Amino acid sequence: MSRTGRRLVAALFLSVSLTVRLAAQDSQFSVRGLGVPGRWESVRARTTGGAFGPFDPRSSVADVSLADALQLTATAVEATTYRRAEIGGSRDDLRSSRFPFMSLAGPLSRRFVVGGGFATYLDRTYSIVTRDSQMLRGAYAPYTDRVGSDGAVADLRVAAAARLGSWIAIGAGAHVLSGSSRQTAQRIYDDTTFLGTTQTAVVRYDGFGISGSVALDPVRSVRIVGYARSDNRLRARLGDTETDRVDLPTTLGAALRWSPSPSARVAGTVAWRSWSDAGGFNTTSWSAGAEVGAGPTPFRLGVRGGQLPFGPGTAAPTEFGVTLGTGKSFSGNRALVDLGLERLVRKGGGLTETAWTVLVGLTIRP
Amino acid sequence: MRRAALAAALTALTAATACTEDVTAPGHCPDFCPSRSITGVDTVLQTVVQRDSAFRGFVRPHEARSLLAATLPGVIDGRAIVLLVPVGQRLVVGTGGDTTTGAIVGVDSLRLTVTITRRDTSAHNLTLVYYRLPLDLDSTKTFADLAGAWTTADSLRSLNVDDLLAQPTHSALGDSVYVDTLTNRVTVIAKLDSAMAPYVVADSGKAAFGIRVVADSRASIGLGSVEAGLGPLLTWFAEADSVAKDTVPRSSTVGVRFDSFVFDLLSPSVDTTLDSTLAVGGMPVARSIMRFALPRLIRDSVQISRATLVLVTARPPEGVPADSFTLSAHGVLADFSAKSPLSPDPSRVATTRVHIGIARGDTVRIEMADILRSWQIDTLAPTTLALRQIPEGTEFPEIRFEPSTNVALAPALHVTYVKRFPFGKP
Repeated sequence: MSRTGRRLVAALFLSVSLTVRLAAQDSQFSVRGLGVPGRWESVRARTTGGAFGPFDPRSSVADVSLADALQLTATAVEATTYRRAEIGGSRDDLRSSRFPFMSLAGPLSRRFVVGGGFATYLDRTYSIVTRDSQMLRGAYAPYTDRVGSDGAVADLRVAAAARLGSWIAIGAGAHVLSGSSRQTAQRIYDDTTFLGTTQTAVVRYDGFGISGSVALDPVRSVRIVGYARSDNRLRARLGDTETDRVDLPTTLGAALRWSPSPSARVAGTVAWRSWSDAGGFNTTSWSAGAEVGAGPTPFRLGVRGGQLPFGPGTAAPTEFGVTLGTGKSFSGNRALVDLGLERLVRKGGGLTETAWTVLVGLTIRP
Repeated sequence: MRRAALAAALTALTAATACTEDVTAPGHCPDFCPSRSITGVDTVLQTVVQRDSAFRGFVRPHEARSLLAATLPGVIDGRAIVLLVPVGQRLVVGTGGDTTTGAIVGVDSLRLTVTITRRDTSAHNLTLVYYRLPLDLDSTKTFADLAGAWTTADSLRSLNVDDLLAQPTHSALGDSVYVDTLTNRVTVIAKLDSAMAPYVVADSGKAAFGIRVVADSRASIGLGSVEAGLGPLLTWFAEADSVAKDTVPRSSTVGVRFDSFVFDLLSPSVDTTLDSTLAVGGMPVARSIMRFALPRLIRDSVQISRATLVLVTARPPEGVPADSFTLSAHGVLADFSAKSPLSPDPSRVATTRVHIGIARGDTVRIEMADILRSWQIDTLAPTTLALRQIPEGTEFPEIRFEPSTNVALAPALHVTYVKRFPFGKP
C-alpha cells in the first residue's frame, strides 16, 4: 500500500472511531426486549434493500463476500434517521444520527482475503417520558418519569474468505459482541418541594459468535450464497455484577444474484433468525434489489420486509422498507461516495413507526 | 472545479445530517415502556431518632448578641444591664493635635445610646425605663442580686419610643431616635442630667445602667450588645478645667465594659431546668442532640426526594409574636454530644420558623432532604443533628419537643424516596 493509501485508511478509521454513536437505527420497538437488530450492510447493499448484502465485500452479512475484495478496501457509513411514531392518535417526531457500520478488507493472496470491522448488533437507544401521579402525604403528587438508554451492542468481526475455484468460495468469521448503554432513570415531581431524582448506570454487554458462508456460481451470471451464524449469549454486566444473560439467535440465510449484463444486477435474499432463544419472536426477513449501471454512477433500488424480534402482543412487529441510492467514484475508483435514501414502515402492537433515513457511505481503495 | 463543488456538497450534506439527536418520546405503557419502572416510596420512620438529649449553656447572657429586655406578665421579666468604660478624671481640652488635658470637675448632661435590634411593632407605647445600677456588675449577677436597684423609685427616667418616633424633631427632653430603614434598627438616645448620673471623681466616671421595657401590652425587645458591634454608648458632656483656653471640647463618648441581661422566670412554664424533653433556645441557650439510626436502604440505595423531620411540641415557647424564631437542624462534624462541632457545610443545615402561639402537641416540621443526601454522599459523616435556635441568644422563648423515649410522640422522619432502578435488566 502506498503512503497515501495508508494515510487514507488511517483517516477513515480515525474519523469513525472518534465518533461515539454506533447504533444502527433507533426504534420504539427497542424499548422492550434486547433492542432492534442492526444492519450489517454498506450503503451500497442497504440501498438495494439489503439484497446485495451477502454479495457485497464491503458488507458483513456473509463472510464469503470478502472473496471479491481484490484490493484493500475500507468503508464507513453514516445514517441520519427522521422518525415518526404514531400510536393511539398521538404522534411524535424523532431524529438521530448514527455511524452504524465500518469495514476493512484486503487480500492476503490472490485467493485468500481477510477483513474485519464493526457493525451494530443490537440498538438500545430510546428515551421514554411518562406522566403519572402518586399519593404522597395525603395528596396526589404528579410527576414525570424519563427512562432512557443510550447505546448499542457492537459486532466486532474478524473474517476470512477463500476462493477455492472459479465457481466456489467459502468464508468464515468470528464475532465479538461488545458494547454498553448509558441508562438513565429520572423522576421529576411537579411539586418542587419534592426533589427530583436521577439515576444513571452504564450497562456493559458481551457475547461471542461464529459465522460461515459459501458462494456458488453455477453459471457465470448467477451466484448463490448460503450463510449461517451462531451467537452464544449476551451477558449484561453492571460494574462487576452480571445482571442478565440471554441466549442469542442462530441466523440462517440464502441469497441469489443474477447479472444479466455487466451493467445490471438483481438479487434477492431471505434470512431467518431464532430470536425466540432470546425471548422474542423468530423472524424471517426478505429483500430484493437491483443495481443498474456499471460506471462511476450506478443507480440502486430495493425493497425489504420481515419482522422485528421484540414487541408487545403475540405477533411479531412487521417491517417494510423501500430504498434507492447511487454512488460516485473519484480518483480512478480509489474513493467512492455512496448516497442512499430509505423509507421504512414498522408496525406492531398498535404502533406505526415510519422513518426516512439518509445514508452516506465512504469507501477508500488506496 | 466540478469535483470540488461535489465534494463541498457532500461535506455539507454530511454535516447537515450528522449530530442531530432527539429520541425522547412519550411512553405508551405498558406495551412501549420499559418493563421496569421507577418506584417511589413514601414512608414514616418512627424509630429512626435514638439517643436524643438536651444540653444548656451554649450562649450565656453576657455572651449574647442581644441584650434581652422583656415584660411578659406571669412569664418572664428580663432587663438589660450595662457597665460602661469610665470616662476618666481628665479630658483632652486641646485641639488640632494639642493633647493638653484638663481635669473633669463636673458634668452637665449625658446621652445614653442604645440600639433596638428587634421589637414588636404591635406593642404600643413602647417605653424604655432606665435605672442606675451598682458598679460591680459581672456575669454572676442575677435578677435577684439587683432586686434593690429595680424599684420604681430608683428609676432614673423613662422614654416612650413610640412618642419619640412620632415627633418630627428631638423631644423637649433632648432625646432622639433614629430608624435605620435598611435594618429596621431603632437607635434611641436618652438624655440624662447630672442628677441622674452624677460624676464621681473617686469612681473616675464609672456608670452602670439597667434598662427595662414596658408597653401597653406584653413587651419584648432586643438591644444590640457589644458582641454584635452594637453595644450601648455613653456620651459625657463634662465640665473640665479649660487650662486658660478660650474654648475647649467637653464631650467624651465611652463604650461598654460589660453588658448582659438578667431575668426573672415568673412561671413554671418557662423553667429552664432540663428534663427528658428536647429543649431548644431559651436562656442560657439550650440545644438538643438527635442521633439518627438510618436503615441501610436509606443510607446506601435510594434517592431522597423529600425528608421531613416531624417534631411534636412538648412545651410551646412563650413570648410576643416578634419573638418567633428560626429553628435549625444542624449537622455536626463529629458526635461529641453537647460539644459536637457544627458542620460549616450549608447543605447540612435545615431550618424552619417557630412562631409564638404554637400549642403543645402541635407538630414542627423541618425539611431535611439535603442533609439526608449529604449523609448518603459522605458515609463517614455522623448521622447526628443539633437542634438549635438561629441566631442563638437573641430570644427568650424556648421550645421543647417530645423525646424518642416517648414512643407515641417521638421524633419521626417522613421520607419520600425513589428506589434504586433495576438497571441491566431487560
